[in-house]
Amino acid sequence: MTDQRQLPKRGYTYRISRRQFLVASSAAALAACAPGTGTAPNAQTGAPATAAATAGKALKIGQLLPFTKVYAELGASMKRASDLYVKNAGGRLSSRPVTFIYEDDANDTPTALQKTQKFIDQDQVDLMMGVVPTPQAYGIRNVVDSAKMITIVTNAGGNFFSRQVPNCTPACFSKYTFRSSFSSYQISYPIGEYLSAKGLKEFFLCYSNYGFGTESAADFKTGLAKNGGLTTGTPVAPPLGNADFLPFVTQIKAQPTKNVYSFFSGADAIGYIRAWNQLGMNAAGYKMYGAGFLTEQDVLKEVKELANGATTSLFWGVELDNAENKTFVDSYKKEYNNLLPDVFAVQAWDGMKAVDEALKATGGDTTDKDRFIRALEDVKFKSPRGDFAFDKATHNPIQDIYIREVRTTGGQTVNVIIDKVAKVTDPGK
Amino acid sequence: MSPELLFQQALNGLSFGALLFILAAGLSLVFGMMDVVNLAHGAFYMLGAYVGLTVVQQTGSFWLALIVAPLALGLLGLVLEPLLLRRLRGHHLDQVLLTIGVSLVVVDLIGLTWGREVRSLALPPPFDGPVTLFGNAYPTYRLFVIGFGVALAAVIAVVYRRTRLGMLIRAGVGDAEMLGALGVDTNRLFAVTFAVGSALAGLAGVVAAPVFGLQPGMDVDGLIYSLIVVVVGGLGTLGGAVAGSALVGPADTFGKVLFQEFALALIFAIMALVLLFRPTGLLGRIRIGR
Repeated sequence: MTDQRQLPKRGYTYRISRRQFLVASSAAALAACAPGTGTAPNAQTGAPATAAATAGKALKIGQLLPFTKVYAELGASMKRASDLYVKNAGGRLSSRPVTFIYEDDANDTPTALQKTQKFIDQDQVDLMMGVVPTPQAYGIRNVVDSAKMITIVTNAGGNFFSRQVPNCTPACFSKYTFRSSFSSYQISYPIGEYLSAKGLKEFFLCYSNYGFGTESAADFKTGLAKNGGLTTGTPVAPPLGNADFLPFVTQIKAQPTKNVYSFFSGADAIGYIRAWNQLGMNAAGYKMYGAGFLTEQDVLKEVKELANGATTSLFWGVELDNAENKTFVDSYKKEYNNLLPDVFAVQAWDGMKAVDEALKATGGDTTDKDRFIRALEDVKFKSPRGDFAFDKATHNPIQDIYIREVRTTGGQTVNVIIDKVAKVTDPGK
Repeated sequence: MSPELLFQQALNGLSFGALLFILAAGLSLVFGMMDVVNLAHGAFYMLGAYVGLTVVQQTGSFWLALIVAPLALGLLGLVLEPLLLRRLRGHHLDQVLLTIGVSLVVVDLIGLTWGREVRSLALPPPFDGPVTLFGNAYPTYRLFVIGFGVALAAVIAVVYRRTRLGMLIRAGVGDAEMLGALGVDTNRLFAVTFAVGSALAGLAGVVAAPVFGLQPGMDVDGLIYSLIVVVVGGLGTLGGAVAGSALVGPADTFGKVLFQEFALALIFAIMALVLLFRPTGLLGRIRIGR
């Protein structure tokens, strides 16, 4: 191919018809006139002159989320909730126009570290949010701590992140990090204590063999022991991302303890619940218990009534009956074509809400780090999950934990909330 | 382990092995014929599963999906071989690299089309219930999978040994250049072989979907499993794929429940052991470099 042949082509692609020009320019003019609807960072006309130096300046938030690989849907869900929050707030938080910089962590800790460094050095963001897998949260902990980068983790639940740990291995509390999601302890210990108080004393353990799974099983066991409960036999622990669950459920059926605490999520949970049914476990008298991710919407919409009877604990449920949850669910469904929000969306939403409230308290200032940290520590609001506040000692939420049972009514399979354990906080040690 | 448990786990292992065979057969066929490790095999397997999912959603029929998905993937293979692979014939490493590129494109297109949520397929009737074997409930679908795997191996064996196409493929594996010199249209033969390999990947996607589910990353899992089976069994022979899956399926199943801590490494340990004592795989022949 010669240059002469390419040249006229190139000229053509740059040509704009009169009609296109009119449409584009009038759209731009309209957008410029509409007050407070644009999210463009340079639309600063509404900023109050009295606020602190940074008020009115664009608020840059670096969001580290997975947009590829196995957790891609979690990242997408958290991005949807964050975008929606800012949109509902008219593009601004406390008079500062918000700019998100989204980076894909590729489910890989070295990549997460690189992107964190980029947020700090190149983008010079005001705040960081996101972080889905616990190893990444542990991995970036020291970096954000030494850079004094205030980071709100909106998923990763590893216990050590909220705790005082000698030598800080594998991670520990930092005054610069907050968590709007949960700690493993919060979704595992309370249900153990609750069930043993109800007289269920013996459990068999089956969990995904990785950090989160082993942590959850251990915390559940401690909760059981509070009321004299115990676990029996050798636990069954399939690897994370296991393909075939039939051999593992076969092992469970070969032992006598009927109550089984199970920790799985996503694809693993679907495979586990299907195998459980294929072996007729319910008919043989076995009953499934677990941390809430076992029966969240991503799983329920695939397994439906196969999960009926499973009892799990979590700090939220789409069915939760309170005004904030109703508003949140309706707004999310309206924006995203009737899509139901999931728990990850709630975590991101509450992270945004916490930032919003703290900004209100500081008049939009984020430069005085200690002041902003204090403001975050004092944040209190009604969340879709109920009352939300950070525990000052752990920077982890103090939250109610709901005990839910999967039931199918009128063709819909949902987590029916049957009880709650009030005001659970991470022990911090 | 009690005898009943042993029996159940053996069945689990066999059904897993049968799935592995269905998955690996296409990869083995393409390698045997074209000397190309088709690293897009996992992506084709994934695409087959998602095409199957759509067919089930639209028509409610798993059995229709079991026909449509392999046809669709076969067609894709029939297009891709002349369009891309043929241009690099003789450059084996370049061809392998090309298949990686194809897999990346296919996987991203799947993400754009079907989304990145975890999906699954319900067990198809009449194999959706359990059957009682020695007093224990056992899912009939797993028995179906074992039967299907054995039947597929038989069909491939018959085609391979008793038909003109099989004869041509065997001749092509032996010496494609000579076959061409004898007046056979090797281009067409290569395209057909690649299409059959792709169709088998699509078939595996549908059969495995009710067991393994559908999610981002399944392409890599599927590819690794089929590579292991093919390497353990012996590259490029049908018998090798059968032997590889018959060893890896039960060994992985028993290993995972008996030595949980090593569950992830176990399958690779098996491969390492086999390669240590039989570098060409269980039934592999020594190939003379061309």
